Amino acid sequence: MTDFHVPVWGYWMMGLGFAAFVALLISYIHKNRGFRRPIFASPYVLWIIVFTVIPCLLVAYFSFTDPQGNFTFDNFKNFWDSNFNARKAMDPELIRQYEDMGLTLNDLGLSRDSINIDTLVFSLWMAFLCTVICLLLGYPAAHIMADREFKLGPTLVILFIVPMWMNFLLRTIAMMSLLEDNGLINSVLEMIGVGRQKLLNNLAAVQLGMVYNFLPFMVFPIYNVLNKMDYKLSEAAMDLGCDKWQTFYKVTLPLSVPGVVSGITMVFMPAVTTFYISRLLGGGKVQLFGDLIEAKFLSTSLNEWNVGSALSLIMMILILASLGLLRKVDPEGEGGGIV
Amino acid sequence: MEEQRLITLENIHKEYDGVTVLDNINLYIRKKEFVTLLGPSGCGKTTTLRIIGGFENADSGRVIFDGHDISGIPPYKRRVNTVFQKYALFPHLNVKDNIAFGLKLKKIPKDEIARRVDYMLDLVNLKGFGKRSVDSLSGGQQQRIAIARALVNEPEVLLLDEPLGALDLKLRKGMQLELKSMQQRLGITFLYVTHDQEEALTMSDTIVVMNGGKILQIGTPKSIYDEPNNAFVANFIGESNIFPGIMVHDELAHFCGGDFPCVDSGFGEDQPVDVVIRPEDVLLVGEDVGQVTGVIKSVLFKGVHYEMMIDAGHSTWKVHSTTMQPEGSRVGLAVVPFNIHIMHPMENAQPREEEAQ
Repeated sequence: MTDFHVPVWGYWMMGLGFAAFVALLISYIHKNRGFRRPIFASPYVLWIIVFTVIPCLLVAYFSFTDPQGNFTFDNFKNFWDSNFNARKAMDPELIRQYEDMGLTLNDLGLSRDSINIDTLVFSLWMAFLCTVICLLLGYPAAHIMADREFKLGPTLVILFIVPMWMNFLLRTIAMMSLLEDNGLINSVLEMIGVGRQKLLNNLAAVQLGMVYNFLPFMVFPIYNVLNKMDYKLSEAAMDLGCDKWQTFYKVTLPLSVPGVVSGITMVFMPAVTTFYISRLLGGGKVQLFGDLIEAKFLSTSLNEWNVGSALSLIMMILILASLGLLRKVDPEGEGGGIV
Repeated sequence: MEEQRLITLENIHKEYDGVTVLDNINLYIRKKEFVTLLGPSGCGKTTTLRIIGGFENADSGRVIFDGHDISGIPPYKRRVNTVFQKYALFPHLNVKDNIAFGLKLKKIPKDEIARRVDYMLDLVNLKGFGKRSVDSLSGGQQQRIAIARALVNEPEVLLLDEPLGALDLKLRKGMQLELKSMQQRLGITFLYVTHDQEEALTMSDTIVVMNGGKILQIGTPKSIYDEPNNAFVANFIGESNIFPGIMVHDELAHFCGGDFPCVDSGFGEDQPVDVVIRPEDVLLVGEDVGQVTGVIKSVLFKGVHYEMMIDAGHSTWKVHSTTMQPEGSRVGLAVVPFNIHIMHPMENAQPREEEAQ
């Protein structure tokens, strides 16, 4: 027995979720057999309202209010001045007294720094790197998997899918134990005479973890597009005088753009909001925007919720903007859908 | 004649996963000839075309193009262009860029590309369609663009893989005539693949009938229709009555309980043969003057003619006639000697063919 129990309402929620799932299945199966889909969709709609729409509205509410519930823009000021709320909460007279004693704002932990915006920029940079690496690794992989001549293609697809059945946290912890000072990789390195290296708790480890976790999201949209592409188009290009390389960049590449755009979005979005991978593989030394938001919500001082909400909202707007961009390039969602 | 041979296939053999799809194909194609590979699906005609186009390699045998062995040379180095079955137009390029695709690769000056593309658009009757996206075109228009895209490169041979298969009947007939006249005007060799015998008869200078990976007969449309080599060709090209019979002696065949004078000879005496008679070659005459007599079992109106099934001499005859006889009536059947085609029976024909090779 553990100290944690599923609360009564938890069972209701799970039941509701299961009902929504079953309703979805039934309505799908009986699409055209007289069942009225809106009825079956209602649990799902309720689910979305309770767990997506209301939380989103709450985030918006918190980000525009202070702990007392008064409307304010102050939370957003914390975005570029991370201690704005903390300073405001303190009596200005008290601050002046401390300053007279020779203490700086920095000493008081109230400095005018831009940690939040810096972290966001750094997260964007890490996500950008992750996306570029995933694209450079993922496109060739997808291309090989979709090659009609390559008989092992379907096997490779399975090999890419199977790890995704495992929880990403487990995968990351496994990665951690691989990279440890006494981990498998270091043992091998020592055995071949290279010597033990510091592999964990640095930027490279975090980046490796991100690429490892998000690579399938790049590979499959591209694979889908390439796999569906009519091979006669490549043959036509060769017939008209293209060698293999020209066929690729004049026909295959331009036609796979929807998959590439979809892959970039699907990697970049989770990468920019990454928060747990950085903690496990970065050893607390690498802080991403996701970690920052998490810290705000786990913080003991109440008004941090409001700041966290504001930061989340900024993040959400970024994601919505990139989604909108995706819609523009790939309106039919051709590249979307994992497998 | 030898120097006119543009493409020669020598002993081409091809297998997929142990299944033979091309079995010792020997064929030559002359310059400016319209050659059609005709056969049911799976007969190897498309594979033959793909081997000439360079998309497949034969397991053994040689492809000679203009005196050089081109086996193993990639498609982009061959002086042939292909019109694909479903056109394979590039969806990311507009009509003009589709047609200009091959020319741009050859680094031809821009103004010349524009001139030649315009000429092609004119040739396929799609002037002013240059800026359109290929998805906005109808099947017939896409077809023309596919032809223009191939022809603009001035290939020595144009390979066409069932290019009219996706079009409706009326459009198909129109395009058949257009293709034929285009071929004659431009003086390009066409190698055409189809399973439609009527299409083959309409357009071709030479028809190559294939089945089961083998060439069964090569000849002009007329010779293939009038003098089929065996029952398969007879059946595939138009409709036929095929009866088992006995060659009594030269120029006399016995089948369906009657003796029929014919023009064939050299089969020996009292040898089993297959007799082929086209439905339109059977004459309905008076009961007393026919070579055999029969009873009309069914009558179907087919537009130009009536199709009658007639029981005569323990066989059923399919007869096309413009005059109708009522069902159940007795008639005499006659065939002029010239219209009776005698062939070696199918099962005997096969081993003989292999011996010859």
